[in-house]
Amino acid sequence: MRRLMLAALAAILLAPATARAGTYDLTIGTAAINVAGKDQTAMTINGSIPGPVLRFKEGEDLVINVTNTLAEDTSIHWHGLILPYQQDGVPGISFPGIKPGETFTYRFPAQQAGTYWYHSHSGMQEAVGMYGALVIEPKAREPFRYDREHVIVLSDWHPDDSPHKILSNLKMSADYYNYQKRTLSTFVDDAGKMGLGAALADRMDWGDMRMLPSDIADVSGYVFLANGRNTEQNWTGLFKPGERVRLRFINAAAMTFFDVRIPGLKMTVVQADGNNVRPVPVDEFRIAVAETYDVIVRPTEDKAYAVLAESMARTGFARATLAPRMGMAGDIPANRPKQYLTMADMGMAHGDMAGMAGMDHGTMGQGATHTMPDGSTMAGTRHEGQGMTHAMPDGTTMKGESHAGHSMPAQPTHTMPDGATMAGMDHSAHGAPASGDKADPFYAPGSGLMPKAAEGGKFLSYADLKAIKPLYPDRPAAREIEVRLTGNMERYVWSINGVKYSDAEPIRLKFGERVRFKFVNETMMTHPMHLHGMWQILDNGSGKYNPAKHTISIAPGKTVEADIEADAEGEWAFHCHLMYHMATGMFRKVVVERETAEAVR
Amino acid sequence: MTTSKKTSSRAACALLAAVLGMGTTPAWSGAGQPGHGHDAAPAQGHMMGGQGMPGQMMGTQGMPGHHGAAPAIGGPGKAADVTRTIDITMQDNFYEPAEIAVKAGETVHFKIVNKGTLLHEFGLGTAAMHAAHQKEMMVMMEHGMIEADRVNHERMKMSHGPGQMAMSHSHGADQGSVLVEPGKSAEIIWKFPKEATLEFACNVPGHYESGMMGPIRIK
Repeated sequence: MRRLMLAALAAILLAPATARAGTYDLTIGTAAINVAGKDQTAMTINGSIPGPVLRFKEGEDLVINVTNTLAEDTSIHWHGLILPYQQDGVPGISFPGIKPGETFTYRFPAQQAGTYWYHSHSGMQEAVGMYGALVIEPKAREPFRYDREHVIVLSDWHPDDSPHKILSNLKMSADYYNYQKRTLSTFVDDAGKMGLGAALADRMDWGDMRMLPSDIADVSGYVFLANGRNTEQNWTGLFKPGERVRLRFINAAAMTFFDVRIPGLKMTVVQADGNNVRPVPVDEFRIAVAETYDVIVRPTEDKAYAVLAESMARTGFARATLAPRMGMAGDIPANRPKQYLTMADMGMAHGDMAGMAGMDHGTMGQGATHTMPDGSTMAGTRHEGQGMTHAMPDGTTMKGESHAGHSMPAQPTHTMPDGATMAGMDHSAHGAPASGDKADPFYAPGSGLMPKAAEGGKFLSYADLKAIKPLYPDRPAAREIEVRLTGNMERYVWSINGVKYSDAEPIRLKFGERVRFKFVNETMMTHPMHLHGMWQILDNGSGKYNPAKHTISIAPGKTVEADIEADAEGEWAFHCHLMYHMATGMFRKVVVERETAEAVR
Repeated sequence: MTTSKKTSSRAACALLAAVLGMGTTPAWSGAGQPGHGHDAAPAQGHMMGGQGMPGQMMGTQGMPGHHGAAPAIGGPGKAADVTRTIDITMQDNFYEPAEIAVKAGETVHFKIVNKGTLLHEFGLGTAAMHAAHQKEMMVMMEHGMIEADRVNHERMKMSHGPGQMAMSHSHGADQGSVLVEPGKSAEIIWKFPKEATLEFACNVPGHYESGMMGPIRIK
């Protein structure tokens, strides 16, 4: 017996070392879909929305033949995958794109495991259906167990306007889709709540900024989909009571952030952006555009559970159902009340991890001026706390001291726009999972976007994400690159450091260096920033256990830092994953190059 | 899984720290938990070096194994009665072996080693007991008494804030539960009942839910 095994082992060892290949053929075309009460044309991969779930094993070669039957160029980008840059699928950066009638073969080894996805990187094809899930099974045992799994791809579909029409509407009027303008009657309500003076001051501040305090989303009117089905079509995943079910959530929406919950079930987050994290039991989590989260649930009852993905702007749900049998549906509750942005979301508080001060209307003239999205400057914020960088009107930056790893003075209070004070966060328990509805340090104190679990309990924070096995040894970054997220709402132009893609030089990284990206969100929108080809190691205060992500979402008025190990030579895309922000210039090319004698000369 | 007739000459030791400022027990304590005459601070099966906890050393034999009206899950066993040793390896976040079979009434010596990078528990109990214990450990983590990869003994001993009761704990080899830090090991000698539906589980937040639990089959 033993001898036989040895012989078999020898045979394995002597076999030529060729990785097996997982091969898929994908056809890009169009198909009629009906998710909004009428037949409409979508761009599809193998005829469906989403495209097929592509499954591979870690270590094998991916071979994917993509045939373009459209009348326009197309491409597929493998979101979150580590690969040679020529295989990354970004027209104009990685390759020329795939011409009509052409078949392009992607071929690269699977160097990682986890839940990822793929989508078109041409024009705005992604917004009309060109996306799908990609799952790589790991070689090693995962740090969790499950009996079955379901992929849940969340997305948005606009029933009225094509992406090009949406973009031209936004260009014409940035608040074209803002159905939630505050009216005289809400002013009267506010005056009742805040007092007339405060309500007036608040309105005037918003007016000065030429912004609307309700702009949580730039585009409304969407139908939300789970695995390509609307709420009525009710995509259903089966389970047997008592089974552990792994749900692989992917946000493939063009513009929509979702808050995900399953009433009656605790979810345990085990993976973020494909990388294992220490398990976090939560009641709800927010998934930014392009992120993925894997959760384990254990439904024990013989009944239907609703998987609810509510848009962050509270305009509707994507709903799927987990059920013991087909034909059941989980209940859809009413939308939560609309959320409005607050003064805290105006970018007044460029806080870091430690959550900084809000505005103090009583003290004008101290502190830095802020460059507002429309180019005007606004003075008069008082900052408690240190370690902030302010963009000065002349474009220079003024640095405070670095805060990494410091704890804040205990419990600073923040003066809110309405004159109320709000206790600051207690950071003494830094690293402990926050319970209940403690303020999330990744949102400005008093932010209208502050997450709160619908039914009480724990809402996942970035602060909870800790790598199980860090991908890289921890080391200090050699240098810092400031990535200011900027935009002009009036003209609907989005940019990085005030410069749009077409006018910008690439960001150059030296092969092998570790660089810190310091994201400073100077706009009122949340931006999920995606770097191709390399991980962004999010600094959430976990030191060597900081989680590696491909997409990091930065809330208004926040500064978030992440380290990049520049270990992938080539030319890569780096952009906000909101479709219309990317399309109007919030995009950079990142070049990773070896230092040659010529370059050093 | 190795089993042997060899009995350990050494009973598992439990470090018992007196809990300061005992007030009323939290509502969830006792929900399906074995009632124990006293609230023991976590007793790491004698492997928690260097932490110098106050308290006295006691052998498990000396423990009053009185378990009130709680479900019969068995109790601390005598070294002399051990008929089998079971080696348990804890990893992030699973056990090897994945399930355990014992004979009715058998006394088993568990030798537990944590080969993972995170703090883990090896606890014996019913599913309901584990569910209650998960709530307790979530609170312990929120209060910094346990961290992802260590037990914070200082915090364990503190009561949290004025007017708050100290936490009660149901860790201790005598209660069929040990918390083991990465790289450390622990032992439990346990006498199983004639019949019961039991699980061994890690109730560190998120671990049970990730599947770090397994059935104990009593034959």
